[in-house]
Amino acid sequence: MSAEAMVFLFGVIIGAALLFVKVFFVILISDLEVDYINPIELCNKLNQFVLPEMFVHAFLSFVFLISGQWIATAWNLPLVAYNANKVMNGKHMFDATEIFRTLGQHKKECFIKLGFYLLSFFYYLYRMILALVNDS
Amino acid sequence: MRPAPAQAPHPGQGFRPQQQHPGQQQQQYPSRPGTPGQQGGPPGGVPPMGYRPPANGGHPGQNFVPRPGMNGPGPRPPHPQDPNHPMNQQQIRRPSAGGASLPPSPSIQRPPMPMGGQMQNGSPLQRPPPLGGVQRAPSPMMRPAMVQPGSPGMPRPFQSPQIQARPPPQQFMGQGQNTAPGSPAMNPMGYNAGGPPPIGSMGHPGQNQSQPPTPKMPFQQQQQHPSQPPLQHQQQQQQQQPLQSQDPGVPALGQPTPVGGGSHKPKRMYPTAQSDSFQEAAAPAYDNGLNGGFQPAPVSGVPAAQGFGGNQMPPGGQQGSQFFVPGEKPGPTFGQSVPAYQQGLQPLAGQPLQPNVNQLTNQMGGMNVGSGYGFNNAQGGASLSTVALMGVAPKILDLEAPPPTINLPANSSITQSPHANCDPSYKRSTLNAIPNDSNLLKKSRLPFGLVITPYRSVKEGDEPVPVVTDAIIARCRRCRTYINPFVKFVEGGQRWKFPSSFDYDSQTQQPVDRWQRKELNHAVVEYIAPTEYMVRPPQPLVYLFVIDVSYPAIQCGMVATAATTILESLDRIPNDEGRTKIGIITVDSSIHFYNLNNESGEPKMLVVSDLEDPFLPQPEDLLCNLSECRPTLEALLNRMNEMFKDTQNVGNALGPALQSAYKLVSPIGGKILCLQASLPNLEAGALKMREDPKLLGTSKESTLLQSSNSFYKTLAIDCSKSQVCVDMFLFGSQYSDVATLSCLPRFTGGNTFFYPAFTAAKSEDALKFAHELAEFVSQRIALEAVMRVRASKGLRMSAFYGNFFVRSTDLLSLPNVPRDQSYSIEVSYEDNIHIPIVCFQTALLHTSSSGERRIRVLTLAIPVTTSLSDVYLSADQVAIATLLANKAVERGMNSKLDDARDALTNKCVDILGVYKTHMTASSSGATPNLQICDNLKLLPLLTLGMLKHVALRGGSQIPSDLRSYAMHLFSTLPSQCLIPYIHPKFYSLHNMPENCGTIGQNGIEMPMAMNLSSERLERGGLFLLEDSQNIFLWIGRDAVPQLCLDLFGVPNYESIRGGKTTLPSLETDFNQRVNLIVAKTREMRRSSYYPQLYVIKEDGDPALRLWFLSHLIEDRAEPVMSYHQYLGHLKDKVNSGSF
Repeated sequence: MSAEAMVFLFGVIIGAALLFVKVFFVILISDLEVDYINPIELCNKLNQFVLPEMFVHAFLSFVFLISGQWIATAWNLPLVAYNANKVMNGKHMFDATEIFRTLGQHKKECFIKLGFYLLSFFYYLYRMILALVNDS
Repeated sequence: MRPAPAQAPHPGQGFRPQQQHPGQQQQQYPSRPGTPGQQGGPPGGVPPMGYRPPANGGHPGQNFVPRPGMNGPGPRPPHPQDPNHPMNQQQIRRPSAGGASLPPSPSIQRPPMPMGGQMQNGSPLQRPPPLGGVQRAPSPMMRPAMVQPGSPGMPRPFQSPQIQARPPPQQFMGQGQNTAPGSPAMNPMGYNAGGPPPIGSMGHPGQNQSQPPTPKMPFQQQQQHPSQPPLQHQQQQQQQQPLQSQDPGVPALGQPTPVGGGSHKPKRMYPTAQSDSFQEAAAPAYDNGLNGGFQPAPVSGVPAAQGFGGNQMPPGGQQGSQFFVPGEKPGPTFGQSVPAYQQGLQPLAGQPLQPNVNQLTNQMGGMNVGSGYGFNNAQGGASLSTVALMGVAPKILDLEAPPPTINLPANSSITQSPHANCDPSYKRSTLNAIPNDSNLLKKSRLPFGLVITPYRSVKEGDEPVPVVTDAIIARCRRCRTYINPFVKFVEGGQRWKFPSSFDYDSQTQQPVDRWQRKELNHAVVEYIAPTEYMVRPPQPLVYLFVIDVSYPAIQCGMVATAATTILESLDRIPNDEGRTKIGIITVDSSIHFYNLNNESGEPKMLVVSDLEDPFLPQPEDLLCNLSECRPTLEALLNRMNEMFKDTQNVGNALGPALQSAYKLVSPIGGKILCLQASLPNLEAGALKMREDPKLLGTSKESTLLQSSNSFYKTLAIDCSKSQVCVDMFLFGSQYSDVATLSCLPRFTGGNTFFYPAFTAAKSEDALKFAHELAEFVSQRIALEAVMRVRASKGLRMSAFYGNFFVRSTDLLSLPNVPRDQSYSIEVSYEDNIHIPIVCFQTALLHTSSSGERRIRVLTLAIPVTTSLSDVYLSADQVAIATLLANKAVERGMNSKLDDARDALTNKCVDILGVYKTHMTASSSGATPNLQICDNLKLLPLLTLGMLKHVALRGGSQIPSDLRSYAMHLFSTLPSQCLIPYIHPKFYSLHNMPENCGTIGQNGIEMPMAMNLSSERLERGGLFLLEDSQNIFLWIGRDAVPQLCLDLFGVPNYESIRGGKTTLPSLETDFNQRVNLIVAKTREMRRSSYYPQLYVIKEDGDPALRLWFLSHLIEDRAEPVMSYHQYLGHLKDKVNSGSF
């Protein structure tokens, strides 16, 4: 198995994990909308995942970078920058007192990220298969 | 979580099985007393004793709609039983199509096209044509009876004769209905059909009754009840209403046969007639039902066939107007009737607005202005009440005017009680006629929201909130609304049924008249909640004082003043049942607890200096029962200042102290009062001095208005969860970071008080603080509350402003509800509205300070309209200003102050622009003047007031503390205080009339308020300006010595001291009058703030002078323009924009 295949295999696994996290976010946010969960619980649950998710994504991008996968790096870089910006402004966490005011925003962001991870996932999968095929 | 309301819906518990017996169900039919046939009594009478619950309806549970098992304003439960329950299937005959979404309010239960309503409304339009007016002999009297919406509280002020021009196009329907019923004597419908609305004008019941409405009606009526006393008549009409409204809903489906059918039978005699008309004329009839009763839109003026869609400016406008013209002339009877109406009503009318006229006029005006009919602007200035803004001084007296009347269709309230609709001081809507769909609202660009002050104080002379003591809580099973005066008994009265125990008072063992019940007669009621509404026994009041005893606090005298004040207010702290608990924590660089339950009677101090992990030094006795620990507590308070007077400690560990306080209080819930005179600087919650003059006036300024430390927000959330409320009293000689510290009150339903540059050495400062603290702790507050606002289907509460925590999409959690705090709620559309009136019901489930679980229910009913002019003419500028102020504050805090200011101005431009385009002659192109309807004419002034207010004013002069505090006041003050806060009151005292300042009929007479312009200042004058937080006495430099002597007791102007003062109390008449005026100013509003008095000398301290002058908002004050410049600015924008 070539290094490229390994990298993309890693990408697929991480991509799937990120995908799951986002689906979890979306589910919880919809729960909030229909009152199955209260904002405090929601924020407690989601905030646990915010930083890990960003970190894992940044790490993945870093792996792409050092393995010289320029397209994959370029694809991920904007999101890394966006996340970093959010963290620096201290706006990455869900705030229970503001959540209803910002719910629409959060939801939109979640869906966009979900789509992004989905595309990433398939791209990594495709590259992995391609790499494996080339190997053999 | 979610502590207060009992969560679990107990679906159907206790009532479901019983409802399966159809027989019983039929008894639930609103068998109103006095309905002929149901009892032998006097036909129309409501004999309080005569009516008894049906024989087998006597089991309290049987007819019980209310599900005690359901939660309070708590989260909306699923309605498991609704869909599949046989009963329910039958009952909910019109499961609203989109029923899945928002539960409708009671009004939804009105069939969408209430035939009954149509008939009851007695719209002039439904009456026989004017030609037949001959028969309608006493029409002058009949008119009032018919048009009057029924509550004297909302009369129509005056009506220009033109209105009579309304043609009676719907007469056929009316007649059809009249004839349809068959035996008129038997038929309550027929009785009412063409007749006047039962209510008539409450003021003249006799008149109404004696004046038969339609030619036939009087006859029938007399036949039926020849000797009936007027009141009974009225009652009977009321009673029939539910029955009527029930019919239309089920015209074709047939309806359950009620028992005791004498009165009901006839109804089934003509369902065909009804259903026909129902089907044919669904829409117009709806419109009539609505408009005829309260605001005849052109729609109703024109036969439905013409398809005059009710839209504001139909293409056929010209024709429409022509149509009106003949209608104007025909009936002399019509013409005569109106003056009588006017006369009858005028005394009641406090409002210059005349929606009836206005609508017509505006419709006409919109269609063909200048066509020469009496409707248009040119002629109908008064009636149309479009006013030009530029070139005239704003008529500020109208700020005090009541909001535009809510013109509900006649009969919309089942009891016709004058209290049926909510008083504006409790709840007011920005629009008193609601657009029927979101497009119309968008088109109007008016903000739509509610301003709610659910727990306003009841001053002397106010009517106390009636309390329903028998724990029968009737709620709609589907939408969970509480029963209210606007419920409709539709579908055989099955949706809303009366518990049979409604008719029996279990305490006095007396039968009662259900129509006298408070919840059916009052829009604001309080229920004693049964245990289903509790998750734990009602909590006792808990006051925990967290007092800063660091060096600055001792130095400024805060601790001494606070200790004395608390000591003196111990008797005033509500302690009805002897359960109130109290505790004291003092804090500097360590936390001091006090064991107050000492046998020795000596307080024991326990010091915790571990700030990283603060713990409670002992498990109990830190919070003690007020009555039990009284001596210890008094000893402590007496000694408190002594104990720390030599401290040099400048540490302030507020964060850890709050954490311990939270630990102490959270098992019970209660109130933590923080008195802080220095910035917290130790451990968790330490704050930095972050005021940076370079940031002021820039776009970064709003960062100073945001919380700088997440500790307080997190703590606030925990507090809110445990029903703990934190109040902040901040005393800053320096920066106090009000922005961060006020986070705690903001999310826990508390209050912030800020005393900049406080020193107790100044008796005025000490007095103000002592007064406010004493008032605050002696308030009878509500505890562990949740609040929910429900609206009729199609509307949704979308944004909330105020001090609370939003716990779910529409549930506000308030650990404490202080008196007179106001909450603003923005409303948005989910769907178009198809019902003639919309109800907003606020339920506040709380524990009163006397330890009772109670639900306060406020019901506001507002008519729906299809016309833009109605929307405009019913807009309430005071409520709009309140809502806009809240939105602006929110915006200013979260993004930029510039944005907030622009948003305000743009909103104003939008409103003016839309009005110009759609309501006035000059729909496009530049106009020389700005026009707006009379009821909105002060909006630009109020907007300007906000722009110039400390909370939002630009410039780099305003310290962020003051700004934060002003913003806090913006979002918590009720309209009554907020409006003077934005637009202060300005009086001239040196030349006030003789009677001012004396005690007259209405208490102390106040002088006439003047426009806020420095033109009014005279060099030798004495002026008073007050903004509900401060009072300024401005004295001109040429003030005559006699005035100085009379008022201040000093020989001349030079000897007057400026600044914070207390007016001396002298023997002179003038001094006494001014003192009375000041006293009145301090107490005339519902708030616990104590305005401080400043004397401003014309050539005195420039800072004070500028501060005073900045309140004169009509003047130019850099960087904001003068009022007239601002109008010019608005005009330019209006002329250049398109709307």
